[in-house]
Amino acid sequence: MIKTAPTENAVTAPRVIGAVTSRIKGSGPFFWILPAALCVVVIFGYSIVDLVQQSFKYQGAWVGLDNFRLVLTDPLFHIAIFHNFLLLFTVPILAILSFLCAVLLFETRRGMKFYRSAVFLPYILPIPVVGVVFGQLLQLNGALNSALRALGFHSLALDWLGDPGQALWTMSAIIIWKEVGFGTILILARLISLPLETLEAARIDGAGFFRLHLKITLPQLKPVILFYIINEAIVMVSWVFNYVYVMTNGQGGPGNATVVSELYIYRSAFQNKSPELAATAALLLLLATLVFIVGFLKIQKNSNSGNSHE
Amino acid sequence: MKNRSKAFVAGCMVAALLSTLSFTNASASVSLKKAFPTGPVTLTMWWWGDQEAPGAKLWVADTVKAYKVKHPNVTIKTVLQTTDGLVPAFAAAAAAKKGPDLQYFWGGIYAQQPGWDGQIAAVSDYIPATELKHYVNASTEESFQGKIWTAPWYLNPSFPVLARTDVLSKYGLKVPTTWKDLLNTCDVLSAKGVPALAGGVKDGWFGGWLYSILGAQSVSSSKDVVAAVTGTQKFTDPMHADWWTRLQETQQHKCWNTDINSLELYQAQQLWKDGKAAMTVVAGPDAPNFANAVGASKVVVMAMPKWGNGPFAGKMGSTSQTIGITKWSKNKEVAADFLMFSHEKAQLDNWFVRTGSMPADDRFDLNGVKDPVKKALFQSAMPGGPYLENFIPAQLDTDAVFANVQLVLKGTKTGKQAAADMQALMERLRKTDRNLVKNFTAWSK
Repeated sequence: MIKTAPTENAVTAPRVIGAVTSRIKGSGPFFWILPAALCVVVIFGYSIVDLVQQSFKYQGAWVGLDNFRLVLTDPLFHIAIFHNFLLLFTVPILAILSFLCAVLLFETRRGMKFYRSAVFLPYILPIPVVGVVFGQLLQLNGALNSALRALGFHSLALDWLGDPGQALWTMSAIIIWKEVGFGTILILARLISLPLETLEAARIDGAGFFRLHLKITLPQLKPVILFYIINEAIVMVSWVFNYVYVMTNGQGGPGNATVVSELYIYRSAFQNKSPELAATAALLLLLATLVFIVGFLKIQKNSNSGNSHE
Repeated sequence: MKNRSKAFVAGCMVAALLSTLSFTNASASVSLKKAFPTGPVTLTMWWWGDQEAPGAKLWVADTVKAYKVKHPNVTIKTVLQTTDGLVPAFAAAAAAKKGPDLQYFWGGIYAQQPGWDGQIAAVSDYIPATELKHYVNASTEESFQGKIWTAPWYLNPSFPVLARTDVLSKYGLKVPTTWKDLLNTCDVLSAKGVPALAGGVKDGWFGGWLYSILGAQSVSSSKDVVAAVTGTQKFTDPMHADWWTRLQETQQHKCWNTDINSLELYQAQQLWKDGKAAMTVVAGPDAPNFANAVGASKVVVMAMPKWGNGPFAGKMGSTSQTIGITKWSKNKEVAADFLMFSHEKAQLDNWFVRTGSMPADDRFDLNGVKDPVKKALFQSAMPGGPYLENFIPAQLDTDAVFANVQLVLKGTKTGKQAAADMQALMERLRKTDRNLVKNFTAWSK
């Protein structure tokens, strides 16, 4: 027994080395992405660890859940979160508009390049430019209302950004105008890559425009539309700061009508000099965003497994 | 024995002489802790002010150039900040302990808070008291337990109401001097579609101005405001809340331009310049420029019409905009020397020449000011009433004052509701900022 052991080892050793080598070979891609992965881990990992630490401290001293209690009982934080929630309603509108625009562009024969550029242009405009232009355009006595009054639509000349009841919806409309280009191009790119045979077959079978795109095109675009929906949901929860900041001079006004969670975090950290409360709110926002990210990953997984079954 | 006592007396005299000499030199030696460096020194100054004192940019360039002539080894880089970015940019710099050596601060709480947070060094540690005593408002707004945080730079009479007699007389009106007159003026002009007052609150800042010029009329001193901050008084007490009702009255009497919520302050002031509004409120340093732009003979510069019975009713407030030295600066002595240089006669006179406003220094010769509008304005601010906005936490200003002024002027909130909201936020701030009560209490002593 004692003697056989070294013999066994001698026999199995090359196998083990072979297995390790093949594992290393198999994990080649992981080595390739290692530098980038390390960057992500160091930059985001450090930030998140620091964020978590700060959210449990006040000026360096441990305060337990005190910061969470203060943030979660802050009426302004509730308002900010509610506004983010309301902005989520723009996501289905964005998805529908993007799909419609993509289909129309797909069906357009003449001037397609021009229309594509026109739809995509708002997306590539810098948000500060958009903010300043719309800020001027939408003043109570600005260009839009002057035009409406000149056309006799006096009742439609509203205080778009100055009325607390309308400011958030006005901002939503601007966000839709700007973000729809991204969705359109995304969906159009997928649409162009679809096999034309199915569309032609449906046309020969007598499918009209709406039936064709609702029954044939839409199901094939499902993964890319879902990706866009998740992406825009993340935008609405944690990426609308620029719009609000530029259009309300960093105030989230009038009153608190356009305060969103990111602005709350920014103001806590840099205006109100409460980095701990900002860290706490940021951590809560991160958790909320994670829900969408997990949702996205699940959808992607399901979509991949669906494709592999096909 | 006699020799001993003689020696003792002589010793005492020498000691007394030395201590006297050291006392008289103490203040002068504050800034001379280190010998002035001979090697290259670079200072960075982040500043604001050209927005309310046009011409400040030229003065800064002149002064930096003159200082370079005096100290060729010192280079000063200047960065003009935006209004909305001034506070956040410095907060980010302070967190990184990197950025400017010299930083611009509005007076009062805007200078106190960075001091309390350990972001700036007290200028009184580097500038002699004999010098600092000439800096207007340093002792009222920037002092904290015997120290002076920042050095006043220029004076801000806060805030003059400018009335255009040509616009008023067109509708048979005179410049209103009482609150009743003002509301009557609003009624007459609004019936004609002309705003009596031009203002813009989209960017919020004007809300703080309105609080200061209306709210100051019912308090007896800045200590009342600090008392409401620390909790011994309330912002719902009539002394602190009545101004909200007056503000609501201006909304009800349609005093303001209808687009006040969608315009920034500087955009709205243009309405007054264009003759589309009878009155407006401007930054003190900029008032002479506004008056000259439309013709000084057509303009009356005055305090907000009186509604209250407090000692500051009908009077102008006074604040000084300041420069501080950051804690992380490696050349604090040089920074302080530059600040003192900026208060030398040549620079004080040049400030007036470049901007038409008054430097925050009582050595500035008012006899040289010939323009009666400017002279009256400067005199009104020395000493003026407290500028209330500078005595409340900055967050209370932005979250309660700015936000509620927008809502009251839109007519979606009453003055009473706004006061209650301000009080509720103050109570909350005492919990979130655990040092607030301690700091404000210490400041008020």
